[in-house]
Amino acid sequence: MRNPGSSVQAERAISIIEDDESLRRALVGLLRSMAHEAHGYATAEEFLAADKGGLDCVISDIQLPGMNGLEMLRRLRERGNTVPVIIVTARDEQRWRAEAKASGALCLLRKPFETQDLLDCLDRAFAA
Amino acid sequence: MIEAVWAEAPEILDLVHDSIIVRRMDGTILQWNAAADAQYGIARADALGRRLQDLLPGEPPERLEEAEAELLEAGTWEGELTRRNKSGDEMIINIRWSIRHGEDGTPRQIVETGRDVTEVRANEEAVRLSDYRFRNLFEAMAVSFWEIDFNGVGAMLVALRDQGIEDIRGYLLDNIPVVREMLRQTLTLDVNAKTLEMFAVASKDEIVGFHTERYWPPENLPVFIDSLIATLEKQPTFIRETVLLDHNNNRLNVMFTVTWSPDTRKRGVVTLGVIDITDRVNAERKLQQIQADYTHAARVATLGELTASIAHEVNQPLAAIVTNGEASLRWLGRAEPDVGEARELAIRMVADARRAADVISRIRDMATRQTTGRELLSVNDVITDTLNFLRRDLQSHDVLVAFNGAPGLPQVEADRTQLQQVLINLAVNAQQAMVQQGVENRRLNIRTAPIPGGHGVVVEIRDNGPGISPDLASRLFESFVTTKPNGLGIGLSICRSIIEAHGGHIEVTNNGGACFTFSLPVQTQEADGGDQCCEMEAPATDMAGASAN
Repeated sequence: MRNPGSSVQAERAISIIEDDESLRRALVGLLRSMAHEAHGYATAEEFLAADKGGLDCVISDIQLPGMNGLEMLRRLRERGNTVPVIIVTARDEQRWRAEAKASGALCLLRKPFETQDLLDCLDRAFAA
Repeated sequence: MIEAVWAEAPEILDLVHDSIIVRRMDGTILQWNAAADAQYGIARADALGRRLQDLLPGEPPERLEEAEAELLEAGTWEGELTRRNKSGDEMIINIRWSIRHGEDGTPRQIVETGRDVTEVRANEEAVRLSDYRFRNLFEAMAVSFWEIDFNGVGAMLVALRDQGIEDIRGYLLDNIPVVREMLRQTLTLDVNAKTLEMFAVASKDEIVGFHTERYWPPENLPVFIDSLIATLEKQPTFIRETVLLDHNNNRLNVMFTVTWSPDTRKRGVVTLGVIDITDRVNAERKLQQIQADYTHAARVATLGELTASIAHEVNQPLAAIVTNGEASLRWLGRAEPDVGEARELAIRMVADARRAADVISRIRDMATRQTTGRELLSVNDVITDTLNFLRRDLQSHDVLVAFNGAPGLPQVEADRTQLQQVLINLAVNAQQAMVQQGVENRRLNIRTAPIPGGHGVVVEIRDNGPGISPDLASRLFESFVTTKPNGLGIGLSICRSIIEAHGGHIEVTNNGGACFTFSLPVQTQEADGGDQCCEMEAPATDMAGASAN
């Protein structure tokens, strides 16, 4: 097991959009344990309305009440926001991979994901 | 005596009803009255001088000789002889002969009186034949027959009526000891072979002459009471399904029948017929078991259709646990471990594990054989739970769900698992129909309302799919009717079975999509709820405005 926090810098701002409360809190907690600043949103609408600036990364589920994660991603891109977005889904990732990429996602992860996979994606996000 | 009468007034003999024939010992007819004329169709003129045995043949000569020998010995003879009349018809005549002696004491003439008993004998024969046939049937039938003397019971019933009791049925239901005494007043006069076989009795001696109390289990005495009432009300027959006891106290599923004929009713005798329906009852039980298996199979099949949803339900808490675990390790792995944070996470992990276990338990309840059994439950709560269960699945198919539960609904007596099964089935059907049709804005609207009068609850499930095609509408709830490419077609027939087993009704209409409505009475009834089903007032507001789930 790698040293925790060895491959990412501290103090990145990351937003998490996940409607399952317990998972959302877990993700926020994980990122904070890596010394990042993390905020969670239950819906895409809430996240877009908050319009938080200075984000280093966005992690979002596809399946959300109301607007789904890919639609939200497309909106971000339309606004000219180039923040790296990591998409996570519990559903068949093969099916969504193409669309996620086309929408502008950096990574697609399948729930439950290996934490290391998430960290690799974050590395790529911060490197971008 | 007759000679004197005859000598003085032969016309008097003609007034006599019976035929009178006087003959010499050799059979030559000397006298032939009017009745003989009428009886045999032979005029006096044609009879006189003829020999009787020639004129009226019928019996073999030996018989006549025998009779005459007896006559000579005893002086009189009485018996029945067969004779053919002028037309050749056979008659049975009741005959009396007596001998007239001459002054020297020798037999001179035979005086005969005769009465035609042909018809009487024929009737007797018919009755005997009928009785014979009845006896044959009685003995041979594969039905257990009993002839019971009811006079003692009748007397007791009359006594009750004399006491002024009008509602005898009610009185007897409240006074079981009286009913038992009535049973002890019955007397078995006869039974057939089938009775011995059915009731495990070695010989008639163990039944005939005894009363019938032992055959009635206490809980079925009302059936006996009803048969008494049927007797009092002079109904021609009484048929009822019930359970009786044999001589080993084993329970027999039977059809119990009582018949009276005007004849037997007068004598206070009834005929009981008892038909063994154990086979039929067993077959019914097997059928119910098969239906339960079928319903269970449908439930499992429906769960199979929800695997995506189920996996999701379980994966969410699992993913949270893994994430929290990783985070704890990070907190604990720091140069200065943050035990507080790790502890927080550990608490959350425990909660998530419980959540996963809960989901699995709910799914297992749906899939296992035992249904939860009937209990008083809130339909709105069950719908809410079910929608929670289905939320992911519906969302993943972009179905917007709205549930408008009426406040203050009465609780209904229902099986939770089965009710969930119906709801899931209808919701999944709606979802699949809308997906199949490529409907753009998929909506599922669920609504509950009380049945007027507070007798139950109505549930309405509406989608905005293509609706039900007219040619399917009448057959939709039958088995193996489906519109899905891989559908089994058993879901809706199971739904109907479940709803109807609860005493409710289910129906479908087209209302901008398919609209399924079912009713559940507060208390399950076996009989159909008829006119109470499915009438709902139109919603006050458009469903679209209701809170989305």
